[in-house]
Amino acid sequence: MSPSMTPARRRRAANNGIAVVVSAVMIFPVYWMLATAFKQRGHILSAVPQFFPWPISLENFRRALGKPHFWVFVGNSLTVTLSSVVLSLVIALFAAIAIARFRFHGRRALMAVLVLVQMVPMSAMVIPVYLMLRSINALDYLPGLVLTYMTFVLPFTIWTLRGFVEGVPVELEEAALVDGCGRLQMYVRVLLPLLMPGIVATSIFAFVNAWDDYLFAYVIMKSQANYTLPVWLVSFKTAESVDYGAMIAASTIFSIPVLVFFLLVQRRLVGGMTSGAVKG
Amino acid sequence: MAMTDKRSTARPAAPRPRPGPPGRRARPSRQRLLPWAMIAPAVVALLLIQGYPLVRLLVLSTQDFGPRSLFTGQADFVGLGNFTEVFGDPDFRAVLVRTVVFTVLCVALLMVLGFLLSHLLTGVAPWARVMTTVCLVLVWAMPMVAATLVWQWMYQPQYGVANWLLTKLRIFGDLSAYDWFSHPNQALGLIILLTVWKGLPFVALTLFAARGQISESLYEAARLDGAGTLQTFRHITVPILRPVLAILTVLEVIWSMNSFTPIWVLTQGGPDGRTTTLGVLAYLTAFSRNDYGSGASIAVVTVLILAVFSVFYVRRISDQAEQGGTA
Repeated sequence: MSPSMTPARRRRAANNGIAVVVSAVMIFPVYWMLATAFKQRGHILSAVPQFFPWPISLENFRRALGKPHFWVFVGNSLTVTLSSVVLSLVIALFAAIAIARFRFHGRRALMAVLVLVQMVPMSAMVIPVYLMLRSINALDYLPGLVLTYMTFVLPFTIWTLRGFVEGVPVELEEAALVDGCGRLQMYVRVLLPLLMPGIVATSIFAFVNAWDDYLFAYVIMKSQANYTLPVWLVSFKTAESVDYGAMIAASTIFSIPVLVFFLLVQRRLVGGMTSGAVKG
Repeated sequence: MAMTDKRSTARPAAPRPRPGPPGRRARPSRQRLLPWAMIAPAVVALLLIQGYPLVRLLVLSTQDFGPRSLFTGQADFVGLGNFTEVFGDPDFRAVLVRTVVFTVLCVALLMVLGFLLSHLLTGVAPWARVMTTVCLVLVWAMPMVAATLVWQWMYQPQYGVANWLLTKLRIFGDLSAYDWFSHPNQALGLIILLTVWKGLPFVALTLFAARGQISESLYEAARLDGAGTLQTFRHITVPILRPVLAILTVLEVIWSMNSFTPIWVLTQGGPDGRTTTLGVLAYLTAFSRNDYGSGASIAVVTVLILAVFSVFYVRRISDQAEQGGTA
């Protein structure tokens, strides 16, 4: 630091330094996942950790992808997650518009219920859901898991979309109606395009929540052919001898789509969550 | 008046009556039904996937529902028997206390660190802000299952990077080959660390976004009046951010208390049941001991504890939403 710096600039420089340290500490586990995944097998279990994966090797990924049924689990995870998100989205879109744009009896109660049900822990829901699916013979059955995921995806989606609908100026809709546009036409031509970024952000967030579920899939899916990726990932850990390289490479494969999604919609996500749930 | 576009009704009376959208007055009954038709699928779905399981959970908590009931479908009504049994169990009371301590520690750390981090973000150069934000978003995005497995690997006794680093730093002496997960308190510490690390970005970024809406002129005025950083915290930032802080706190209480994956994957509640929290206990009671009734009653207790917080939260949010809607 040069003596010619003003106190304000010096403070800012110190803050920048703290920010660098904080960033390094926060990102380290993510970095360590990537670094481990790309290491050569012999460099993973070493007494002195190798901090840069060199020479880069795809061997861990090859072993992870080579495990039996990998693509079946990918298929299961995608099917269940996408189905629950798409189904929830269709139902939620109508409900969100109704809640944001109309006053009707029970509107407040509905909103209260939406918030309340999001607070019921999954570990509490899993018991009755398990018994319910059992009594209709839908255990170990992918559509059963779709229904299960909707228990948390649907309330969240309605609630968040409602926030995004409220963010669209109602004047635009009124103008379209005055211009002789039908209500449905107005929703499709005016509201929906403006809502698109919100819909994308909401579905990505809902997707991630369902994608990451371990508990429900673990309890409900008993046969290996019906495992989803999280259940498969954890089963690495419970193997007699843990293959850390393959386990971490598999975790990387599992995380990459989510990391990319989040970086793409990050700005809207923070804005959306705070305008929907929190008004600052 | 049951159904009207709510913003138009809230507007001050226009000098001349505005022409309503065509068709609105002509078909009042159909218009009145529209919002109901729009929420009907959601209400039906919620009743089916939330309402029914919740009622079932309540009923279950009053039943002696064991492995035999799974096949017969019959279970005896025992009233509050499960609850008195559960509360009479010293193990349960230990789990209850542990859950509260775990939650308080997680939430306190999250809120304090999140607040400091959001403050830091306002006082750095743009490049540093972008860098920190990107790092935070990546941590936020990490799936919990993957993060938990990375934790498992980082704290692996012989080859984990954490033990090597800590031994090199000589803070706690020689930790090579130290098995964190076989010591209950240390294991719980690592689970708290994981929860805080994973939850911090949401708190920090939300507070930073809210902080950005406070006018900079307030801070300038305070600075001219000679206020220091702590004073501006106390008199400007915290009072204005109070609603956001309150809601974040309640959300984090709920999320920390419901945390299941990290505990289950890292320790399965062990060693000796000493990292078990209410969520894990409910799971174990129902699915390992096949005592679905007691498991349900533990879950009901958890829900009731959270309900105390939720009432506060719902009131706040629906009031705000109401204001936001009609303002």
